[in-house]
Amino acid sequence: MLLVRAIIRPEKVSIVLTELLSAGFPAVTKMDVFGRGRQKGVKVGDVYYDEIPKEMLLCVIKDEDKDDMVKIIMRNARTGEKGNFGDGRIFISPVEDAYTISSGKQGL
Amino acid sequence: MKEVMAFIRQNKVSRTKEALAEAGFPSFTCRKCLGRGRKSVDLSLVRSLIEDGEIPLSTSAESLTESSRLIPKRFFTLIVDDAAVQKVVKTIIDTNSTGNPGDGKIFVIPIMETYRVRDGELDTDMDTLY
Repeated sequence: MLLVRAIIRPEKVSIVLTELLSAGFPAVTKMDVFGRGRQKGVKVGDVYYDEIPKEMLLCVIKDEDKDDMVKIIMRNARTGEKGNFGDGRIFISPVEDAYTISSGKQGL
Repeated sequence: MKEVMAFIRQNKVSRTKEALAEAGFPSFTCRKCLGRGRKSVDLSLVRSLIEDGEIPLSTSAESLTESSRLIPKRFFTLIVDDAAVQKVVKTIIDTNSTGNPGDGKIFVIPIMETYRVRDGELDTDMDTLY
């Protein structure tokens, strides 16, 4: 199992969630976050604005679904043809165990 | 070390907190989040919950107007020793289980290193964190 953490633009959340749902990934968690990237935030005049509001999507998936998931997020969270700075990032980390609280069962 | 990441109902946080403290795990992080699971949400049920005042209107209204329906949840996470994972998972399941869909999920994720900010010390053993 893998944990996918995608940090994306807030205005792209809705389309990404809809697309994930139609691709068969209904389970997602969304959180408000603030951050900056490698461009040190947005520079306006001499001032850097480095706490840019973003949304973080958390999703735990099977190993084999990784490529699909990443592709869907990439395609829908990107702005314009080539994408722009600030479109976000996707991080993937291993998950060792998963439990469903209602039944206490192990596994996704 | 492992991170135990649980997505639980928002009205269960205080009970989870107490149960974990009793089991010897006082430290945790909790934050608000919105989410959806594998089952689709029964909106009439959500509406009745709002009317009963069980979930605050502001957060739920915000999430329910979106095309993809998200329910307010709490994201509860703590970092423990490998040996303690089973105990923590069991405590969380016991306090949060109502037997209904929407009770939440628990994920166990490996943590490579932890540092204490106060003195910059590398912790290899979680016991020294307390």
